Amino acid sequence: MKQLQKPEVLAPAGTMEKLKIAIDYGADAVYIGGDAYGLRSRAGNFSFEEMQAGADYAHAHHAKVYVAANIVAHEGDLAGAGDYFRQVRDHGIDAVIVSDPSLVETAITQAPGLAVHLSTQASATNWETLNFWQDEGLERIVLAREVGVAEIKEIRKHTDIEIEAFIHGAMCIGYSGRCVLSNHMGLRDANRGGCAQNCRWKYDLFEMPTLGDHESLLGQNSQGKTEDFSMSAVDMSMIEHIPDLVEAGVNSLKIEGRMKTVHYVSTVANVYHKAVADYCADPEHYTLDPKLVDELWKVAQREMSTGFYYGTPDENDELFGQRRKRPRYKFVGQVLAYDSATHTVTVQQRNNFGIGDKIEFYGPEFTHHEQTVADLYDEDGVAIERAPHAMQVVTFTCDTPVAKGDFIRAQEVKRPVSAR
Amino acid sequence: MTEIIASVASIEQAEALMAVGVDTIYAGEDYFGLRLPHSFDRTELADLIKVVHQAGKKIQVAVNAIFHNDRIVHVADYLNYLAAQNVDRVTIGDPGAIRILQKEALSLPYWYDGADLVTNSRQVNFWAAHGAQGAVIANEVPYKELQALVPNLEVPIQILTYGAANIHQSGRPLLTNYFNYVQTYQDRMDREKGLFISEPRKPETHYSIYEDINGTHVFATNDVNLMPRIQAVYDLPITHWFLDGLYADKIGFVKVAKAFVQARDLLAQGQLTSMIVADLDQIVRANQPQNREVDTGFFDIDPADVK
Repeated sequence: MKQLQKPEVLAPAGTMEKLKIAIDYGADAVYIGGDAYGLRSRAGNFSFEEMQAGADYAHAHHAKVYVAANIVAHEGDLAGAGDYFRQVRDHGIDAVIVSDPSLVETAITQAPGLAVHLSTQASATNWETLNFWQDEGLERIVLAREVGVAEIKEIRKHTDIEIEAFIHGAMCIGYSGRCVLSNHMGLRDANRGGCAQNCRWKYDLFEMPTLGDHESLLGQNSQGKTEDFSMSAVDMSMIEHIPDLVEAGVNSLKIEGRMKTVHYVSTVANVYHKAVADYCADPEHYTLDPKLVDELWKVAQREMSTGFYYGTPDENDELFGQRRKRPRYKFVGQVLAYDSATHTVTVQQRNNFGIGDKIEFYGPEFTHHEQTVADLYDEDGVAIERAPHAMQVVTFTCDTPVAKGDFIRAQEVKRPVSAR
Repeated sequence: MTEIIASVASIEQAEALMAVGVDTIYAGEDYFGLRLPHSFDRTELADLIKVVHQAGKKIQVAVNAIFHNDRIVHVADYLNYLAAQNVDRVTIGDPGAIRILQKEALSLPYWYDGADLVTNSRQVNFWAAHGAQGAVIANEVPYKELQALVPNLEVPIQILTYGAANIHQSGRPLLTNYFNYVQTYQDRMDREKGLFISEPRKPETHYSIYEDINGTHVFATNDVNLMPRIQAVYDLPITHWFLDGLYADKIGFVKVAKAFVQARDLLAQGQLTSMIVADLDQIVRANQPQNREVDTGFFDIDPADVK
């Protein structure tokens, strides 16, 4: 049977809760932000103590933790960087992800023993660039999202440095790092965590022979309405092409989204873990389970495409016109306990749900169970119709055994406002 | 001595620019270089280099594209060609191209040009330690940061003192995609087409946008003109002033260059006054294309105001 190098599934972890969930749901590694040098200023970034706790949890589950320190630093930002990287190393972190060469150099020279990965922000797109950074002592390169599968195969022939590639999530429309729209339109530094996602704004597009003399070139969409110009990419999903990435020699499959929810992290990590494990276990007989694709759509925020992996994206890879309507799912609770004698599940509520709602339980290793809520009791055993309170603990009947920690989602339904 | 570098759209323009005192001509081919007023093929470039060297001036060639595999394999040959033509320096932004330059052991000085990514002295010095003889500083580094940055430099930096400031590069054909979506035919999407975008609810903004073989490029709403602050640039000191004629009027650009040369010469003599600066600034503004404005870009932004 064909021997394959099984790549790691690398998931985002904006908080300690997400770190644990990502690992529980199959991530082989997670990436987090620290208090400094990261690009997600609004994510729940980790203190050194939290890094240690996260690393301890990960290592106990044979997983790794990487810290993103991928800002493009300005003068004065770099004071204390050496000490920061030493602290990161000494708190159990397996690698740092950096893009600014000054931070690369600092990490390598001042924190020996700490593995350094080059961020996608550095736009590495050819094997000579990968070899340059390998010569500098880096262990891994996160490729630019503009690199295709055929290019990765060619790169792999010319280098043995580890390759990491994005497989899922939101995408920059430009070469990552080569965009300062946010700086110029709102004094928010895109390369220091301030990106305002100006690419997703709606713009006028025009010729202007003289100042102020706009001759708009905006066209109409299929609904006959004026379509603004935008530079907004649909999200990436490579779930249907895992074999290609494994065969191309990618060592790490990266999921975007340190700002995303527990629902997203658990679902996406679960799906890709399953697909990669299934393919690597038996590549000759592997077929993609359509349920995996369905799962991803349940947490999708936008339509999805394969980005640059199979050619330059066209208009179908951008968000124009009306969004396609699709069912939206919400995370409604987490299983605290299951009593197999009474077929009763105890649940901590995360979103309003109640009797009559169709819900889905899902857990690590892709366990899955759907049912309609037929009864519902509060903590005192009093029958209730709905569980409206955040973190409320409730019980209800569930004939299929579920496990502690399993999540519950439900399709979002717009309920009519009841008359008062 | 301050060196004035100007991009060129033609050999004739290069001759005119050198005649008014420009020291270094910046050119290249868009297969290897980014956002050039003209893509000089090798025959044209050889002719240009000859003219520049005959004038006793220097030639700086752009090799600053983001190279994918299909192009990186041609970089060695191109660098060898440029070295054989005695090109005075190249600008490079892709570390893979630097690796090739060093493997080939060519007598071809390079300056690092990573566009908006070059924002601190330690990064510049990193490239200096890897052979760079200078670096192109990002347009987003304000004066207050430059005051702290410049004393820490081990090599000189080049700053955009006049011209369009690039703020976005996409690998996607964003204009083609849009027009395909709305099913509107456009004869061209290149720089000559003269397209702009404006922000929502800010019709007064006008960001230039175009497509070429390197993707889609967007530029700041106003061109940079550091003439009002040229004394400060000189005093920092920043010794390499770049004038980019990408969107300039071809004749007007020469007048703009002449104004900066005058400013440079008067500064060297200690004779530049605020009145002269005002006059020179007026020359720059008078020679702007009628659909473009100028300001000092990020130079006078307070770093504390940037989130």
